[in-house]
Amino acid sequence: MNIIGNERMLDKLAAEYVLGTLKGGARRRFEGLWQTEPQVRRITAQWQDRLHPIAQFTPAVTPPPQLWQAIASRLKLQAAGTTARKPSFWRGLRDDLGFWRGLGMASTALATILIAVLATRAPGILPGNPAGTPTDTAISQTSYVAMLADDRAQPVAVVTGDERNHRLTVKVVLPQTIAADRSLELWAVPKSGPPRSLGLVDASGSVSLQLPANTTPQTVALLAISLEPKGGSPNHNAPSGPIVYKGAWLQI
Amino acid sequence: MATLSTLDPQQLKIWLAAVASKDAQAFRHLYDSTSSKLFGFALRILTKRELAEEVLQESFVSVWNNAGSYQASLAAPMTWMTTIVRNKAFDLLRRVDHAVEIDADTFEKDVMNAMESADAGPLAALQLSDDAKGLARCMTRLEGLHRQAIALAFFHDLSHSEVAEQLKLPIGTVKTWIRRGLDRLRMCLQKTEGT
Repeated sequence: MNIIGNERMLDKLAAEYVLGTLKGGARRRFEGLWQTEPQVRRITAQWQDRLHPIAQFTPAVTPPPQLWQAIASRLKLQAAGTTARKPSFWRGLRDDLGFWRGLGMASTALATILIAVLATRAPGILPGNPAGTPTDTAISQTSYVAMLADDRAQPVAVVTGDERNHRLTVKVVLPQTIAADRSLELWAVPKSGPPRSLGLVDASGSVSLQLPANTTPQTVALLAISLEPKGGSPNHNAPSGPIVYKGAWLQI
Repeated sequence: MATLSTLDPQQLKIWLAAVASKDAQAFRHLYDSTSSKLFGFALRILTKRELAEEVLQESFVSVWNNAGSYQASLAAPMTWMTTIVRNKAFDLLRRVDHAVEIDADTFEKDVMNAMESADAGPLAALQLSDDAKGLARCMTRLEGLHRQAIALAFFHDLSHSEVAEQLKLPIGTVKTWIRRGLDRLRMCLQKTEGT
């Protein structure tokens, strides 16, 4: 039978081929025709375009951030934020012009978030006015803030520091989905020396951590969050996974 | 959410063309706008997260390496990419010999949600290309069991006899249903294309 001249038969075969129900020898013969006959390729593509949108009916699920890192490193893509494991990374992060520019772009968002955070956190952040001290200096001496953004400058978390009570509050403003066997870990990146772990962060809520001494913006330039195995990086002075969010640690 | 408008086929074609000339930035855009859809799809086929992650990684490596051959495939960009994901997923299942639990009800819910999204437009949970909206409408016009037979085959790479086994029906019946279902989909979609 000359199948090529039989449009109806071809159409039926192409439909079952794309659906997957054409199996065995029939499938191999069809693939042979696909190789040699432009008409078969055309009809097959039509059926693919008809049926494959079924794939979109399933709800979207955000893949974990390290998946992109894995793809980028396999393909050796040169892109910002993919060099997390190189020793020069911390220096690179501090000097990363794109990062600071991104921070600038996000500053409007930062301002909005700050207002919200300060409004809700006011009792913790603004301690009672010690006698004889003007209020404004009390604020500026005790409060630090960082807005952590992803590599597209999308704000993800706000970290506020309360020096008087030695507390850090990490509030995730854009809830993140991470795999059950992963944790997010917060790091202080000093102006010199290795990073220090500040503790684990809730991917969708808010956590309170201890604010160690020597974690002021005078010594610590940046805060960063890395994606780690459950429980955090085995090394408290180096993330083992990629940095997913980062932001400058500022005095306010 | 940025992914809403970026499933636009023209935009995806432009990125794919740039990826063919090894443009890493375009590749990142393509990944950002399609990865969650493709990951959801891989997850539905494979059910296990670590398997879906492996398949998504393999698929995007393949997209990077084969974007140059996209034009020749004649299909829409999402079609081309879902074909890659589906093939990789079925290959992996054959390799690891992992039995997937088959659940036809989930698909019913997906189609209903897709149709509601297509008609009413609250797309927050489900972003659909125009092709997918059209297909969702046409799928809801099929009889439930015909639709299920098609979905089982599509998501689980089943033969006629395996679909028959799943639905506890004679193979002849299943063959007829699938053939008729596909025929009706083609006619319904042609009508939608015409308007």
